[in-house]
Amino acid sequence: MAHAPFTSVDSDLAPVFQARALAKTYGEGDAMVRALAGVDLECRAGELVVVLGASGSGKSTLLNLLGGLDTPTSGSLFYRGWNLGGADEAGLTRYRREAVGFVFQFYNLIPSLTARENVALITEIAADPMTPEAALQLVGLGARMDHFPAQLSGGEQQRVAIARAIAKRPAVLMCDEPTGALDVSTGKAVLEAIERINRELGTLTLIITHNSVMAEMADRVLTLSDGHITGEKHNRTRAAASTLAW
Amino acid sequence: MSLLDLKLIRDLRALKSQATAVAIVMACGLAMMIMTRSLIVSLETTRDAYYRDNHFAHIFARLKRAPNSVAAQLAAIPGVATVQTGIALSVTLDLPGVMEPATGLIQSLPEQGELTLNRLHLRAGRILVGRESTGEILAGEAFAQANQLQPGDEMAAVLYGRRQHFRIAGIVLSPEFIFEAPPGSALPNNKTYGVFWMPYKELARASNLDGAFNQLALRLVPGASEPAVIAAVDHILRPYGGRGAYGRASHPSHTRLRDEINILNGLSIGFPLVFLSVAAFMTNAVMSRQITLQREQIAILKAFGFSNGEIGRHYLKFSIVIVASGTALGVLGGVFLGERLVDLYHMFFRFPALNFQLAGTVVVLAVVVSSLAAMVGVAGSVRAAVRLPPAEAMRPEPPSSYRPAVVERLGFGRLFSVTWRMAFRNIERRPVRAALTVGALALATGILIVPNAFRDGIGHVLDYQWDLIQRQTVMVSLIEPSPARTLADFKALPGVILAEPVAGAAVELRAGNQFRRLSITGLPAQAELYRVMDHHGRQITLPPEGIVLSKKLAEVLGVKIGETLFVRGLEGKRVEFSVPVVGLSEDFAGTAAYMEIGALNRHLGEGDRINAAYLTVGAGQWQEFLRAMKASPRAGSVVVKNKIRQGFRETTAQSIGLLQKIYLTFAAVVAFGIVYNSARISLSERQRELATLRVIGFTRGEVATVLVGELVMLTLIALPCGLVIGSGFARVILMTVNTEFVRLPLILTAQNYAFAVLVVATASVVSALLACRRLDQLDLVGVLKARD
Repeated sequence: MAHAPFTSVDSDLAPVFQARALAKTYGEGDAMVRALAGVDLECRAGELVVVLGASGSGKSTLLNLLGGLDTPTSGSLFYRGWNLGGADEAGLTRYRREAVGFVFQFYNLIPSLTARENVALITEIAADPMTPEAALQLVGLGARMDHFPAQLSGGEQQRVAIARAIAKRPAVLMCDEPTGALDVSTGKAVLEAIERINRELGTLTLIITHNSVMAEMADRVLTLSDGHITGEKHNRTRAAASTLAW
Repeated sequence: MSLLDLKLIRDLRALKSQATAVAIVMACGLAMMIMTRSLIVSLETTRDAYYRDNHFAHIFARLKRAPNSVAAQLAAIPGVATVQTGIALSVTLDLPGVMEPATGLIQSLPEQGELTLNRLHLRAGRILVGRESTGEILAGEAFAQANQLQPGDEMAAVLYGRRQHFRIAGIVLSPEFIFEAPPGSALPNNKTYGVFWMPYKELARASNLDGAFNQLALRLVPGASEPAVIAAVDHILRPYGGRGAYGRASHPSHTRLRDEINILNGLSIGFPLVFLSVAAFMTNAVMSRQITLQREQIAILKAFGFSNGEIGRHYLKFSIVIVASGTALGVLGGVFLGERLVDLYHMFFRFPALNFQLAGTVVVLAVVVSSLAAMVGVAGSVRAAVRLPPAEAMRPEPPSSYRPAVVERLGFGRLFSVTWRMAFRNIERRPVRAALTVGALALATGILIVPNAFRDGIGHVLDYQWDLIQRQTVMVSLIEPSPARTLADFKALPGVILAEPVAGAAVELRAGNQFRRLSITGLPAQAELYRVMDHHGRQITLPPEGIVLSKKLAEVLGVKIGETLFVRGLEGKRVEFSVPVVGLSEDFAGTAAYMEIGALNRHLGEGDRINAAYLTVGAGQWQEFLRAMKASPRAGSVVVKNKIRQGFRETTAQSIGLLQKIYLTFAAVVAFGIVYNSARISLSERQRELATLRVIGFTRGEVATVLVGELVMLTLIALPCGLVIGSGFARVILMTVNTEFVRLPLILTAQNYAFAVLVVATASVVSALLACRRLDQLDLVGVLKARD
């Protein structure tokens, strides 16, 4: 890539993601599985989108495609006008490196690095990062920066993961079951951190979950089943994460 | 087949490249062990059978001249079973089409029947029997082959100053010349030195020894005392110019073979041990990773009611399969290499048939040793796995805890990037494994130092001997001691630039209880052509009184500079005198004693005489010189320095070349196996971590850096350690080559070190790249879903 397409077109009005008839199938013949069966989707900057669905509904496949971890079988997918669906391996790596922040269910921190270093891992390779300290302050972990993952609780580890995801100021924050491994109170603290990032940095945030309670904190809720978007709901007001209960 | 065995087969298939790496390293160790042990067995059994079948003598002696009737006196010595007397004569040879003269030893065949001792083995042509044949000769096989001589070919020899023509009747081998080389020579030089046999009558006439003998061989009855017989023989031969009898332990061919077997013995233990330890460590690493990965499976098996014993056996079978394939490969490799080495040994040691014998006990030993190595490797992890209660084993392993590494605690952390800090911490968390990896890589590096140290040592000896000490073009030995003025005749030969005299006297040197029989070399005080050097490489000026000894000889006799040696002449007037040791010379082949030529002759009391001369000859008149030399009646033998040197080069190059290739391959295999295995295990353990890095935007190259950073660091630590270890290996192994007959200096060059580093580094890089290729197969999506 000669230029940097991920930051060149930057308008609140233009969609960040634009997907048409997006489909993904795995396997061939009898063993063929249609994980995503033609999805049309647009996401705009600053939105907080919750994708709901049972397991096997295709929500993880959608996240993999939007996150640049996989390429579609058919249909088109554009990120800010750049053909994400047709990108090669190097293009995908660069996209993930510059545009996307990931938060996973099991945190996926590097056990041999401290909280600060786990974040620094990203800030060292990003173009315009915040400092690791600032990122950790944002998620409320300013005091535990020099602890190793094994010395942190699950909720704290997940907040380090969020700090790591947002330190590079990504355009998109992808959260895959971010509270799946946490109890309610630590889960809420994690959602508060995500909500704050979305509000303060204006990052397009996609949360993938099977927990329908989280729908209340979204601008928009998409429901997936059998590879199709079967429901789309706009919340007039977003509920604060602190008020959620499950 | 039980389901557990089916699981074993499928698991092994998944582990095949790592299991293969371990099996190959194990095979290298076994191949080396089988190769060397079998070679020892082959050499020893072949030698013993040859000695027995061909009646190799127990005691040998040379003398000036004794009537044949003395043989009866010798036979009467208690303990003597058989006596064989005969004639041995050093000669200069003249081969058709070869300008440079060769030298040789002609021995007599009995007047009636065949030799009773040291019997010949006929290779081609026919054996000469009785007194009827004239003008015929038997030639030793090594010389005949090197010079492409066949039965029926003609050659000329200068016998006692008379040039005679012979036809080769047969090509033979002798148990006395398994190592067919001039006495004291560490390497054969078959083009320029040969052994021959001809009927007694003809040889006796040529050497004026009719009715007399100048050498004998004795065979003892079982249980006879060798020292007692030697003393009795010396007593009987004293009036006849006896030069001292000696047993097999001092026999040049026998001792050379014995030294070789000693060296092989050293190699057969040390190196295989290194390889098998490395293989044990690799088995352990592979198996403990496998067991960690299968923690849950083990729990489930136990929950279903499989006993600890069954599960333990299941995992032990993994290592049994690895050992079995390693052993099979090792035996095949050992036999293959052993057969190549036997061919090589045939160049040095001449037996009627030297066949590679696979030592059965060695194979059994090899299987036991490698099984033990593998068992040691897996026992720990299997024990840990079966000890775990099923409920606990079903839970994932607790997250690994880390702490800042030593470099960081010392405050140097800021100097390193985050990826390097990861490497430091990983190493520190598993210090034993890191140490073993370093150790294994260091051993691989060390193994490479040895063959090149051998090569450089031999190179140094040759340069030292032929450039620094002996600077002549040729050495001419006279058929009998001659007056000093003979030197003028040599100076007058065409092309001769410089001529220096050499005197020699067979003596016994004694200090306390220690004694050695050898020849004192008399040289000019500051000779130009044969310079006696000290260990600093400075020429020693031979003083008008006193003796200079080889350092090794002084060590053997237990004397120091300033102490006195007792000298007893073994020929001529048999003078006895004491002489102070005034210097120690540095030399690498045989042992020597030097005196100023005037001082030596004064002590011997036989006037100014010389036995040989060193000459430098101008290249322009070389051909004329050789023609004149071949016709010279006084010259007993002519040795051309460059000819010998070239012969040495050819033979050593071949043997060192083969050994070097073997060691090189093995060391590269170890380095490759270690790095590949470490990288694969690291990849397996850190799959999730590496996939996470890929997901959050690290490129494949950046992730590869994280994966191999640790290995790079360990390799960097291992290389200098390996050089130290290798220098130690070389020192220890060269110590086994420190005998009275041959010594090798420890020469460690920068090139040697650089080569070892290069080979290990290259093997490491290649194997790391291979392991990194697996990064492409990382399941980015899958690992994020699963918990560790």
